[in-house]
Amino acid sequence: MKKWTIVVPAALLVMASALTACGGGSGSGDNTASEGASNSSGKKNITLTYMASQGWIKDAEMELAKKFEEETGIKIDFQNVPSDQYFNVLKTKLNAGEGPDIFGGQSGYSEITMNYNVESNAVDLSDQEWVQREDPLSVEQLTANGKVYALTIWDTYSSFVVAYNKKLFSQLNLDLPKTYEEFKNAALTIQKTGVTPIYEPIADGWHHVLWFAEPGPNYEKLEPNLYDDLNQNKKKFVDSQAMLDSLTQFKEMYDLGFFGDNVLSDTGSDTVAKLGSGQFAMSLVAQSVAQEWSDQYDDYEIEDIGFFPIPLTDNQIYYINPGGPSKFIYSGSKHIEEAKQYFEFLTKQENLQYMVDNDATISNLNFPGLNNKYTAEQQKLFDSYPERGTDIQDYVNYVNPQWMDIGKDMVAMLAGVIEPIDVLKSIDERRESMAKVAQDSNWQ
Amino acid sequence: MNRAMYPFYFAIAALIVYSVFFVMPGLMGIYYSFTDWNSYSNEVHYIGFDNLAKIFDGQAKYLGYIKNTLVFMVATVVLKTVLGMLFAMMLNDGIRAKGLHRVMLFMPSIIPMLVVGLIFKSILNPATGLLNESLRTVGLEFMTQKWLTDLNWAFKSIIAVDVWKGVGYIMIILLAGLQSIDKTYYEAASIDGANFWQKLLHITLPLIIPALMVTTVLNLLHGLKVFEVVYVLTNGGPGYATDVMYTAIFKEFSTGNYGMGTALSSVLFIVMTVLGYFVVRLMSREGNES
Repeated sequence: MKKWTIVVPAALLVMASALTACGGGSGSGDNTASEGASNSSGKKNITLTYMASQGWIKDAEMELAKKFEEETGIKIDFQNVPSDQYFNVLKTKLNAGEGPDIFGGQSGYSEITMNYNVESNAVDLSDQEWVQREDPLSVEQLTANGKVYALTIWDTYSSFVVAYNKKLFSQLNLDLPKTYEEFKNAALTIQKTGVTPIYEPIADGWHHVLWFAEPGPNYEKLEPNLYDDLNQNKKKFVDSQAMLDSLTQFKEMYDLGFFGDNVLSDTGSDTVAKLGSGQFAMSLVAQSVAQEWSDQYDDYEIEDIGFFPIPLTDNQIYYINPGGPSKFIYSGSKHIEEAKQYFEFLTKQENLQYMVDNDATISNLNFPGLNNKYTAEQQKLFDSYPERGTDIQDYVNYVNPQWMDIGKDMVAMLAGVIEPIDVLKSIDERRESMAKVAQDSNWQ
Repeated sequence: MNRAMYPFYFAIAALIVYSVFFVMPGLMGIYYSFTDWNSYSNEVHYIGFDNLAKIFDGQAKYLGYIKNTLVFMVATVVLKTVLGMLFAMMLNDGIRAKGLHRVMLFMPSIIPMLVVGLIFKSILNPATGLLNESLRTVGLEFMTQKWLTDLNWAFKSIIAVDVWKGVGYIMIILLAGLQSIDKTYYEAASIDGANFWQKLLHITLPLIIPALMVTTVLNLLHGLKVFEVVYVLTNGGPGYATDVMYTAIFKEFSTGNYGMGTALSSVLFIVMTVLGYFVVRLMSREGNES
């Protein structure tokens, strides 16, 4: 009797907490959009929540949002989520039916249909005026079954390239590397002077995957028809020697200490500071970083910073990614019209130009008729690498949705837990399970 | 039982609420773990033990998550109990400003885990963190580590942070237990010539068993349900080295694999129930024997 008086309540306690754990799942939903009451001045008293990954919402857009609020009374509540957690948070919210009014997402057919399930979670924007003006290649990335689901305002032509400290290169008599071997030797020479060759923010979880995915056009060049074979399931990632070489070379860079000691804790927000301090010689960055670098550090002029494409597998192709972080309107939002109004406002020609003019991270946007800010070095980059190609994730299905997983696999590879070939195997496994769920006929 | 003051039906209302909001969702969760329920399709198919087979066949990384969770649980139960007991005994008697010390040790328990995590993320940063900087300043550079990104240290660091935060709470419960022990036992034992260890072994420990039982059950549950500390410190990294059951469940849910998510929850539920039952039984038996 006495024993049971202790055992039963304690067992119930255990069960209750385990069961609530099973049943629970959704995070706390905070759909803070207040009710849309118009006040006397004709302005609406509404707050739209806009959730995105860190770095997607530019400062210039926040300035524009203030103007938008002045004009319409509609306030935009920006919620920036750290990039290594963003997709978990977003998808949990979408799956729980508690999405924000506007959410940020990546582009590409498999991304928007598999990851965000746009056909049920996002509003069809095909009839919006700006769709006609936006770069058709960008629009295509956000289209599913003939309907446009998101607005992309992004510097899509400015691909990620390796920015390098030209002064240091000329001091050390280093030439612009054209192959992986030349790149490796340059990095070794730089390393000997006490400067860490490359700043690589692996802690963000997504950035280091660029090293693998962006030389994609070169893999395709080395192994003709690779992209289509991957999409038709005639080939798997493990079958590609070029991809394996690329990962192996990336691992070698890590093992040689090119990224420094602290690389697994480094974050993208420090990139400019690290480059500007002279501790690091290169970094894989958006081209606008050169402007920030020279603006913030007096020792550097804009001409002191040069660019070249990722040289893994001897890549010399400048890749194109017509997509980019995009804005979706959540289908469950109470303020769909107001969100559309915000998109209309952002895409006005003068506001797009305002973003180009006032944001250091933007050189041009994917809308016509804007005055771009390309620097001489950027122009030189475009001229020096005339060969173009699309990166893997914008062409090959089921890659972009697993971007963060690939990132984790690559870290496990760097840590020596798995081999480069295992990274490719994991990619294939995830592609297969996604394709099956999507009932892709090539996987039947 | 026949001396009960109130009839059974007085409890019905509470039982209904409990069943609807706790038992039912739990049972539904167990049912869904046998399905392929996911966010990409509106149909839910019964797939038998496929999910469970996937967890235990060793192909995927799930067994690693289970192992990590168990290691975390055992380590935190042992460390928190031993350290909590030590602090409780030290602060029970014979120390100056014991109130202040108790508050200091209890303080971490009232800070939200996310805040603690963010603070420690900065303290443990290998390049700029307080810990490595301090070690370097006092000439102990060889002891500096990449606390959260080195495979050998990441999980230990997580356990250490969790113990740092949780030990004060355990200490308070054990302290209450210690204070309820009648001092005359110790006086009598002293007169009989018992030393510190004999008193600890034959008076303190037997009499503190009920409190230890409470702390063990609490630690056990907390250990199995660990989530925030891992999520905020490493998010399961480097690679998948520090992923535990709940971070895995969270990821399954966020990628829309509800069936697999509930299957993992169900496994955890069974482990918790079995472990909890045996721990409570074992400890209540010891308590009765004494």
